[in-house]
Amino acid sequence: MNTIQLQEGIRDINLNYLMLAQQMIKEDRAAAIFRLGISQDFVDMLSGLSPAQVIKMAVSNMLLCRFRFDEQLLLNMVTDYNKDKLMSKAHTAILMSAQPVQELA
Amino acid sequence: MAYKSVVAEAQQVRIAIDLIELGARLQLIQAETILSRERLLKLYKEIKGESPSKGMLPYSTDWFISWQPNIHASLFMDIHQFLVKNAGISGVDALITAYRLYLDQIQGIEGGEPVLSITRAWFLLRFFDADMLQLIPCQTCGGRFVSHVDDLHNHYVCGLCHPPARAGKTKAAKLCEAVA
Repeated sequence: MNTIQLQEGIRDINLNYLMLAQQMIKEDRAAAIFRLGISQDFVDMLSGLSPAQVIKMAVSNMLLCRFRFDEQLLLNMVTDYNKDKLMSKAHTAILMSAQPVQELA
Repeated sequence: MAYKSVVAEAQQVRIAIDLIELGARLQLIQAETILSRERLLKLYKEIKGESPSKGMLPYSTDWFISWQPNIHASLFMDIHQFLVKNAGISGVDALITAYRLYLDQIQGIEGGEPVLSITRAWFLLRFFDADMLQLIPCQTCGGRFVSHVDDLHNHYVCGLCHPPARAGKTKAAKLCEAVA
């Protein structure tokens, strides 16, 4: 994969992420906060972006969304896999809901 | 009815419809909205096509402590607390949104069944308000789980880190395995 393909991939993900986030916020603001793991200020900022702003934001060559599983969580998930699949997913969800939201600095 | 505002009444009806669709018992809807019992009955029949079930509500804190219900109840309660803390919603809105997100999580799991009904979820919240149940952190994973307030739990370990020996090995589960 060369640099141009890489940048294209990043832009695609950014655009997808921003549009999906806006859609989720429009449908149910509180649920979007839970699903996205971002603060209320953040959600208001995202939902206030115009389509032109979304595109401008998406074309930066930096990924906009951040990895949400911290190391301890990831470890739990991986090691839990030999257990009941259903329970390992529920466990992940329980741990995720204890995580703080991403704040707007 | 003492109700004046048409808009506010429409909102109450909306809440009642949401609750009925999520499978709430009539007593719950009566407590959470200010619509009269007659109107709720009509609404219920219109949406579900049948009369609401009668009888006692499941009133017990012990149900939330046994293994599988505890995991479901903890998941719901963690989502609820997340919403109250981070999304700025409360009351019946938080109940509906948290329950929808709980269903979402469970349905995302293959073969997952929503063990916790919305009526039980509502009771769970009331038990928390009454300080009968609380969330305590597991010493191993750090996740927070539902437990009795007066239990001794200096070294609490959750049912997921240390499942009891026979947990999840029901007749139904065996049958599923045999078929697969």
